[in-house]
Amino acid sequence: MPREAEPSINERAFVLQALEENIRLDGRALDAFRDIDISFGDDYGVADVQLGKTRVLTRISASIVAPYPDRKFDGVFVIITELSPLASPAFEVGRQSDLETHLSRILETTLRRSQAISTESLCLVAGQKVWSLRADIHILSHCGNLVTAASLATLAALRQYRIPDTSIKGGELTVYTPLERDPIPLALLHHPLCITLNYFENGEKMIVDATLQEQQCSEGEVVVAANPQGEVCLVQKGGGGEVDALVLLRAVDMAVGKVRELGKLVDRALEKDSKMRDKGGISAELSAENER
Amino acid sequence: MASKTLVLPGETISPDILPTPTNPNLLLKLGPGLRHVPPSTITSTIAGPLCIDQKKNAIWVENNSGRYIPQPNDLIIATVHHSSTDFYSCSITPHTTFPQLPQLAFEGATKKTRPQLNSGSLIYARVLTASKHTDPEIVCYNPSTGKSEGMGELKGGMVFDISLGLARRVLMAKQREDGGIAVLEEIAENVAFEVAVGRNGKVWVKSGGVKETLLVGRALQEADVQGLGVEEQVKLVRKMIRQV
Amino acid sequence: MVNVTLSPLYRADGSATFTSNGYSVIAAVNGPIEVQRRDELPEEAAIDVAIRPAAGVGGVRERHLESIIQNTLRHVILVSAHPRTLIQITLQIVASQDDSLYPGNLPQAASNVPVLPALLQASILALLSASIPLSMTLTATLISVKENGGVAPSPSAQDLEAATSIHVLAFSSHGDLLVVESEGYFTMDTWEKVYAKARLICHGEKEEDSESEDLSMDTEEVTKLEDILKDAVRQKVAAEYRWKQSPDSAAT
Repeated sequence: MPREAEPSINERAFVLQALEENIRLDGRALDAFRDIDISFGDDYGVADVQLGKTRVLTRISASIVAPYPDRKFDGVFVIITELSPLASPAFEVGRQSDLETHLSRILETTLRRSQAISTESLCLVAGQKVWSLRADIHILSHCGNLVTAASLATLAALRQYRIPDTSIKGGELTVYTPLERDPIPLALLHHPLCITLNYFENGEKMIVDATLQEQQCSEGEVVVAANPQGEVCLVQKGGGGEVDALVLLRAVDMAVGKVRELGKLVDRALEKDSKMRDKGGISAELSAENER
Repeated sequence: MASKTLVLPGETISPDILPTPTNPNLLLKLGPGLRHVPPSTITSTIAGPLCIDQKKNAIWVENNSGRYIPQPNDLIIATVHHSSTDFYSCSITPHTTFPQLPQLAFEGATKKTRPQLNSGSLIYARVLTASKHTDPEIVCYNPSTGKSEGMGELKGGMVFDISLGLARRVLMAKQREDGGIAVLEEIAENVAFEVAVGRNGKVWVKSGGVKETLLVGRALQEADVQGLGVEEQVKLVRKMIRQV
Repeated sequence: MVNVTLSPLYRADGSATFTSNGYSVIAAVNGPIEVQRRDELPEEAAIDVAIRPAAGVGGVRERHLESIIQNTLRHVILVSAHPRTLIQITLQIVASQDDSLYPGNLPQAASNVPVLPALLQASILALLSASIPLSMTLTATLISVKENGGVAPSPSAQDLEAATSIHVLAFSSHGDLLVVESEGYFTMDTWEKVYAKARLICHGEKEEDSESEDLSMDTEEVTKLEDILKDAVRQKVAAEYRWKQSPDSAAT
């Protein structure tokens, strides 16, 4: 019977009552995030994001494959999300849950369909060899707002990832190890992020970064994906409850502001990470060994 | 009272540190985390500090983590999941089998006057029987007196999650002295509230308003997470009351 | 450098991370929870082990490792204490040595064995964190044998490439051998040497004097794995019982 336990009548009533008075159980403002921590692993392309008690780890990896015959000049980019009992006992091993599908669809639209990553840049030898880029999203702890946590982790990992350098001489492809040549950053065209807004009282009240409990008590949610430039990539309303059309506009407006806020956080985390990797101030251009 | 030696699973408890009973008729009691391997070896099964009570001739390993396992006579806060003809199936911890609560196991309940509980209702109950081979049975009255003794449906209020160790401490007879808990007493001086503590790591709090209820719940959780001592708890509560 | 954290995750009943020698594993234990009818055992708890690789989906390698771990833990966990329930162990590999070895390939190990000690160690720590009754604890280590017959503990990826054989040994807290997985060519004499070295690392007691120790190895840094285990638990207990030791109560 693996299903997330529903909150009791008392809990539901209390959460709603508190929200009516504009109080959230953890004392946050309605539009505030929980504490966010973004850290990177020793290898390139591993980002660990903690959003309060929610924790998501994304790992980027690349391999060389043959391209799809109908897309000879495009590399491959896949996003894989799997919810395991690590995140919550409610998840089963090897069975896809609705939440998983929901999550990977949203991330797919946000990152792939919005052309955040240019698949043309992943092409090595047209029609023969392309990079297949893979984002494995590991949900480690599920305490609400997985969408934002996962999109933060994936974007941070993509921006930090370095793909091995290659060269082609006489049709021969050479892939260099990090010791031979510095790996290079990915070509990202823009940096979109997802914000989830949960609404109450027919959309009159909206909260950012809901905890699992708030999520379960809400009437529905609106997911907005946008980049810090204010361009919207996705708007999705779920959960059933009916809302005024204007509410969606308000949600988009609010989300764009939040995307900028989070975008800055990612910028700062990346800056800190590159300083750490560049130990002793020796510029990475001088020696490849210093990178590792 | 309790000496502090840390044990890991599989360690043999030396007979020298076992309590020496003052009364030879008093048998040695093995608490949680220990097992008896015949003929006379005692080994630990979980990791934690080894505690000894000389007076009661008891020895056990304390633990503060993991899942709650129902034990007879424990007070717990459960949620009604569904109802069948004679029983309510309740949930003490998620993803375990439902313990059963007989519909007549309430104070003064008869076929006609039994309480009607909807799914999702909260109840404060006592574990009547629990063994590893059967599903536990819980009741909302004291079978020997027939009185409710505070058990039954919990109406309104809010439930907060706390650690199993804190729940155990709050339920001690001398909360402040033995359990090191001052939060509730301290708040009670300023705010009126009702509270019910379940051994399964849940506290139910009901008070005049949302802010007051949250104050109690959050103060307990805060003291729990940070491991605050009595003095620090008093300070924390005073600070929080000032903010409300 | 061995790094251990107990209970880093919030939703699982018990969890632990274990990082050592380039391998990093997060383990979560849920249990005892309700078991599916088809897996239910009338007299004991069912144990379910799932390993998830850092990248890609699990395959034959993961299933093989799962079966080794499941068979080991069945004897370590006191399964009779919670009959008709499920103890679910999920192991997430976060980093492994061979990740950076082959550019342009998915990080997929050549051998099954090297990640096994970290998996075993992480799962036992998570079980401790979940307070699941155990009959003992275990410690595991990886040892490679060089071409010249030298025994190298905590081998690097390059060492593993060059090794003639690699061995994983796990010992119970009573000092008994629990798991052996060996790969490659080796003689019985070599194995004896490996055994002595591994026992020293895990359990601490020297059975015989191992003279042929590798020169590059610093004997000083060998901390008994068992001590690391105990230290992790001690830290967790200290944090939980801070209220007892806090300044004000110590003063009274």
